[in-house]
Amino acid sequence: MANELTQLKLHVRTADQTRRAELALAPDATGAEIIQAAVDNWALPADTDYALVNVTTGKALAPDATLAASGVRPGDELEVQPVLVAGCKSA
Amino acid sequence: MLERRGAGMRHDRHLRHALIDWFPQARVRAARIAVVGAGAVGNEVVKNLALLGAGAIDVFDFDRVELHNLTRAVFLREADVGAPKASALAARAAEVDPAVRVTAVEGDFWDTLPLAALAGYDCAVAAVDNFEARVRLNRMCRIAGVDFVSAGIDSRLASLEAFPFASNPDCACYECHLPESAYQRIAARYSCGGLRRVAAAERLVPTTAITASVAGALAASAALRLGRDAGDGARRVLFDTIGGGASVAALARRAGCAGCGDLGERPRVLAARAAWRERIAAIADDVAVQTSDPLIVGYACARCGDRSRAGQYVLRRARDFDDRIAICAACGEPAVRIDIRDEFTAAELVRLYPDRPPPAKFAIARAGDGALCLDFETDDQRPQQPQRRPE
Repeated sequence: MANELTQLKLHVRTADQTRRAELALAPDATGAEIIQAAVDNWALPADTDYALVNVTTGKALAPDATLAASGVRPGDELEVQPVLVAGCKSA
Repeated sequence: MLERRGAGMRHDRHLRHALIDWFPQARVRAARIAVVGAGAVGNEVVKNLALLGAGAIDVFDFDRVELHNLTRAVFLREADVGAPKASALAARAAEVDPAVRVTAVEGDFWDTLPLAALAGYDCAVAAVDNFEARVRLNRMCRIAGVDFVSAGIDSRLASLEAFPFASNPDCACYECHLPESAYQRIAARYSCGGLRRVAAAERLVPTTAITASVAGALAASAALRLGRDAGDGARRVLFDTIGGGASVAALARRAGCAGCGDLGERPRVLAARAAWRERIAAIADDVAVQTSDPLIVGYACARCGDRSRAGQYVLRRARDFDDRIAICAACGEPAVRIDIRDEFTAAELVRLYPDRPPPAKFAIARAGDGALCLDFETDDQRPQQPQRRPE
């Protein structure tokens, strides 16, 4: 019960919004852990790199920062975004 | 008379911009922008900068035009296949507005763009296909105090990240939010800690002219700081070219960031090519110094002990060689132990390089409450031009 109380109920989605979920996450979960769970559960392309953005507050979450340290609040919506490169071949 | 006519023509050209009350045409005209990468996004960035009337655009790329580039690169033509991308792009972009100076710099920007030259730009735009080049350009911009813009695309999304280092040196850098997987991708290109992997496979990302066009427009706007305040921080924009949605996220600086964690607010940059000994002598012997490029400091076969080829490699830049040098010339086994480092003490560097600076772009010394950058490509503190390849 205490564990449930300390968990954050959040919405998580992909950037193209084809995948959405409501999750209860521990405040000490990191952005990297949430991204990995999204990649695994939604079978997102594993050869792509991802970042996490709190679209409710308009702030990106650092990969190693916890939800609590990033100021994420219950009900916030997190978006898993690809980190894009491409353009041309270079060094 | 001719000059007056020219000035009038220029005024007419930008008449519609003059009707936009927030459009800073004079600032745009004075802008100097470095565009690194002459592919799909680079073409679009240059197109927008030239149409807007940016003063000077320098395009850096080492690659040559391939047929598949022509479906996304607005300035490249079939006749350009096989030609250097930067030159083909610059030649055609210069036709957009004769008053805009567009210059090609053929070669890897790491070898052609000294820190002192970078400091002369208002912004550097990364339009390249890999994380390594972006990380390198980000660090250079962070040190030089030059705005950095990173543009990326896939088949559907366009992204822009803007880092206003010139006005906000304490803002987040590109690496503050870079996932660990990006560093793993960079590491996969090298072996032994710095030798290029012969068999490294590049990931191919499918893209279209649509996403390149959007990313190029966003990047050009950010490079010129259109509609932005000097107090703005770092941000990421992700635009969905199918759904039409966009998100804007503030990027906060991260303590311990590999790119800016040790740099303090703005490192002091000292020209150190000619004055190498003088500069390094001013740093205490035990101070840690990180070179911008990993250096080979040891070379011996672990199987037969042969060191006969050590002189060819030791004290040189690791990325100038590939992993085939790990095969021993004497016994033929891939058993050469190659010691590659980018962390030294000041005393070690003096011992290894008594007469000349290390073959690196620069080095960072963590001295006192700030960081000191020794620029090994510059003899004096005056701004320099990019190093163009001789004809």
